[in-house]
Amino acid sequence: MIKSISNKLTHIALIATLLYAIGANADDLEAPVFSFSGFGTLGLVHSSEDKADFTSSSFKPNGAGYTHAWSADVDSLIGGQVTANFTPKFTAILQVIAEQNYDNTYRPHIEWGNIKYQFTPNFSIRVGRTVLPTFLFSGTRKVTYTYPWVRPPMEVYSLVPVSSSDGVDIQYRIHISDFTHTIQANYGRSINTLPDGGTAKAEQAWGVTYSLEYHDTTVHLAYQHPTLTIDSVKALFDAFRQFGPQGIALADKYDTNKKPLSIITVGATYNPGKWFVMAEWTHTQICSFRGKGTGWYVSGGYQFGKFTPYITYAQATADNLSDPGLATPAATGLNMALNGILRTKTVQNTVSIGGRWDFMTNAALKLQYDHTSIGAGSNGLLINTQPGFQPGGNVNVFSATIEFVF
Amino acid sequence: MKQFIINANCIGLIIIGLSLSFGSVGASAEVVTVISAKNPVTTLSKNQVADIFLGKANHFPNGNQAMPIDQNEGSTVREEFYLKFAGKSPSQIKAYWSKIIFTGRGQPPPEVTNGLEVKKFIAKHPNAIGYINNKLVDKSVKVIHTK
Repeated sequence: MIKSISNKLTHIALIATLLYAIGANADDLEAPVFSFSGFGTLGLVHSSEDKADFTSSSFKPNGAGYTHAWSADVDSLIGGQVTANFTPKFTAILQVIAEQNYDNTYRPHIEWGNIKYQFTPNFSIRVGRTVLPTFLFSGTRKVTYTYPWVRPPMEVYSLVPVSSSDGVDIQYRIHISDFTHTIQANYGRSINTLPDGGTAKAEQAWGVTYSLEYHDTTVHLAYQHPTLTIDSVKALFDAFRQFGPQGIALADKYDTNKKPLSIITVGATYNPGKWFVMAEWTHTQICSFRGKGTGWYVSGGYQFGKFTPYITYAQATADNLSDPGLATPAATGLNMALNGILRTKTVQNTVSIGGRWDFMTNAALKLQYDHTSIGAGSNGLLINTQPGFQPGGNVNVFSATIEFVF
Repeated sequence: MKQFIINANCIGLIIIGLSLSFGSVGASAEVVTVISAKNPVTTLSKNQVADIFLGKANHFPNGNQAMPIDQNEGSTVREEFYLKFAGKSPSQIKAYWSKIIFTGRGQPPPEVTNGLEVKKFIAKHPNAIGYINNKLVDKSVKVIHTK
């Protein structure tokens, strides 16, 4: 796997060398046309639950526990970014990331590719693939070096695994004394292939984000409203529809075909230098099997020179995890399948302790231990559950990463 | 950066960091913020200096454009400068710029290799602002008194 990542890096680096050479032609140090930057994470994860997989995103097909005792796929990734400054007002960005895909390959994908026009220093528009600014750390979710943890708390971030959107966004910034207010509006769509072969489509997705920066404090509020279609559950609910009005009612309740999804998030960080504390809360609601989900976390840490230990408490809750289904023996199989889906909704809480060691200016080593208690009747965030797996219960996860930027 | 890319090609991922390691051992002389002798600005607060170098402000208080120039990453004078004016360690500066770069919000100031190059840059660009060891101060530059 390291070899595969290394090959990807080589390709990215070759492109970068070319672009850098073009940029370096400028006779001065002023704003090269192209600039290249990169980031990466090499991680190993172990999970105590060997009848299911722990992983970092619902777009990943496997992870640590059942498939691998130690998995490098959970967190490892490599990314490269080229920024083009055509004029001071007109810029473009291309960010490519190679990480474990839904089909278990490391084929690179375009995370962002957009052009930006800066009408004034405080007003800009971007067109193309842009970051979906759902959470405090959405913008650098894949650049693990920029935050203290191995990965952002899953109880919150797994509720919205989509990180980018194809469309347009506008951003307006206002400075009033020491307060910087930023308002952003986005419209677009995002289509992702799932490990089961189906797709998750978020269409006609609009959102509004507000953030406030004041000295060491950041506050972030976001509302996102996509129309969601998950086609891999369609066959199941089509089968329910064959059972007459009751089956149709049940299918309408749980199917995920062009259903509006509301996502609201509130977050804040306070980081005066030596220590930090941050918290986020999110709530998602949709008239589908996913129903309502709520997640929140509080995290804090203190920096002792190059070593930063931290602790996080995170919790996720969801509404109904089971349904009696249809009261006819013919529907027994369908009822079981429905309940199998409902169990994938996350009810759990996690205590994480970890440490970050900045052993070089541009690289850090992180170790993290997570103790998760999964709620009765829920699979938590575990995937690939095997015969013998019991919903509920406790899982311990150990993660180690080396993270860098260049 | 070129050096890094070559290393990445040849050796692979884990070596990356090592090739970028730096030596920060050295005698500590005082670091001062300097601008062109022609620049009318005389005083700035530490925060104002930090804001210019961190890309939060792109103008001097008098409205003239400010063009910050950095010294190489890993140089002692650079570490001292950011510690003194922004209260940030090299890792914190790196994390700060990573957030800006990878959200497409900007790029760090251009870099030169030493204090003499900073003075040359300032001589060429009257709007430039840099930092050098106080022993290198001469008539071509003006030390900014920080409040």
